Amino acid sequence: MFNNIFKKQRYYFDSEGLLVVDMSPSSAVHYQEAVQAATQDAGFSGEDMVINFGPQHPSTHGVLRLEVVLEGELVKKVTPHLGYLHRNFEKHAEYIPYNEIVPYTDRLDYLAAMNMNLGYVLAVEKLLGLTELPERVEYIRVICAEFNRIASHLMAIGTFGLDAGAITPFLWAFRDREKILDLFEWLSGARMLYNYIWVGGVARDLPDGWVEKAKEFLDYFEPMMVEFNNLLTHNHIFIERTAHIGILPADVAINYAATGPVLRGSGVKWDLRRDQPYSIYDRFEFDIPVGEGMYGPVGSAFDRYWVRIREIEESVKILRQALDQIPEGDVFEAIPRKIRPPAGKEAYFRSEAPRGEIGFYIRSNGSDIPDRVKCRSSCFVNISLIDEISRGQLVADLVINIGSIDIVLGEVDR
Amino acid sequence: MRTYFRNVYRSLITILIGMRQTWRHLFTPSVTLQYPHEKWDLPVGTRQQLFVNIDDCIGCYKCARICPVDCIYIDTVKAKPDEDLGKASTGNPIRQHVVRFDIDMFKCCYCNFCTTVCPTDCIYMTDKYETSVYDRSNGIYHFSKYAPDYAAKLIVDEKEAEAAKAAARAAAKEKAMAAKKAKVAE
Repeated sequence: MFNNIFKKQRYYFDSEGLLVVDMSPSSAVHYQEAVQAATQDAGFSGEDMVINFGPQHPSTHGVLRLEVVLEGELVKKVTPHLGYLHRNFEKHAEYIPYNEIVPYTDRLDYLAAMNMNLGYVLAVEKLLGLTELPERVEYIRVICAEFNRIASHLMAIGTFGLDAGAITPFLWAFRDREKILDLFEWLSGARMLYNYIWVGGVARDLPDGWVEKAKEFLDYFEPMMVEFNNLLTHNHIFIERTAHIGILPADVAINYAATGPVLRGSGVKWDLRRDQPYSIYDRFEFDIPVGEGMYGPVGSAFDRYWVRIREIEESVKILRQALDQIPEGDVFEAIPRKIRPPAGKEAYFRSEAPRGEIGFYIRSNGSDIPDRVKCRSSCFVNISLIDEISRGQLVADLVINIGSIDIVLGEVDR
Repeated sequence: MRTYFRNVYRSLITILIGMRQTWRHLFTPSVTLQYPHEKWDLPVGTRQQLFVNIDDCIGCYKCARICPVDCIYIDTVKAKPDEDLGKASTGNPIRQHVVRFDIDMFKCCYCNFCTTVCPTDCIYMTDKYETSVYDRSNGIYHFSKYAPDYAAKLIVDEKEAEAAKAAARAAAKEKAMAAKKAKVAE
């Protein structure tokens, strides 16, 4: 009898499935009792506890809220709640001309803004049928994209160490990332939101001496990666902490449409730079690193981390080749005066960003403003794996699992 | 039991390897800059605070039109036929009074589009980046060289002149109509 009244009046689930408890002074119900009753109703045993992880938490890598059902310390279910960083990119893009959307793409994955610029710009160029670009432009684009991939992966592995409790490697990764940002600042004028790659070209030519400085950085950077590996990657405590958790089998990864290091960490050799070469990636020699399961099962959190480390080395390889081969030329000659694709034409283009495939679908209505822009975000897809890989594990491992997926909330929410 | 000791041994060894790196770095100079006292050298063409050299502005609205966040507000008044406003330093003739040129630096996204389209290169990004202010209204920068009352007078003058023109046109039209009517009546 009391239970019925209790159930009907003291709490309810709102439209999002969140528990709302009546905490008015007249209700003599203890909050914990109400939560227990609610979780029982939702099909969990009385021992379960629902906690909110985030949105303001240092290890959620942004404003992500995870609704975690715990049984003791074991995770039973994780539900990510998104939208705290929603900025209406897709709808907003329907009101501004094609070239003015480029600064907005910076803000999608703000740790890899060059790759976002490149993905969008290549989609617009496909829409325009603009295939003949100056060689120098193509080389500059590849150099920028690969440098930004290194910067982004440095951030990913640094914060991954931070999630596992290692603070020093984070600072070391940031020290090297800072040097890449300095190169970019010299090149484009901005440190994070570059707006550098434009439709048909780039915003500025390489400054005098930039290529030499970039080569100098690579010479400095390669020994630094060895040091970084000594410090963190080969550390036995770190390996034991990460190599047995967050296991993602290859078939699950493919079924969830995971891309990027998350997919390759499970042992699937799929990289758009090699399998569907865009720009001039078919000219360079590089390997596609995949998870090998050196210290535990294939597809663990450590494998995803290891793929990122190896990808940095491969990016250095590509950069060395590109910096050696870069030709002279005019970078502005192919920039179109007006971007007006024919009405009804549509294009979808996907490219390999540091966190996976970024795809842009654009439909034209004949004016200089797109009819529809859709962004296929890799982080948005990858974050749906969080339940799959952390079920049945400790809540402390959940933090590492989020870090191993390496999400950027700006891209998840768009 | 063996695994346990092996784990302890390996952990110790790998920590020592890491400590060796840290030890070596202990004697290298610090990479940290003590920010308010030391500052970075910014490269040429860095993108910070916007500035407008209003003497060169010809009031073409190009920057306001390309701005993705619409943070530039411009009002212009056409110069009278007998007025000579001179030329910009690039040689472009100035034909309008720029009575209002405001930039809302809170809205600005530092994309650098406005400076690339400017025909006289009068809007550019400076290397000033410490721009925090105490009030939101202080983030809107006014660049027009006209005093507010003079600008208001110019706008009123233009409106009056336009009204007078329109009245003259209407009168001329009426006159023509009357003449036509008279012709028809004849």
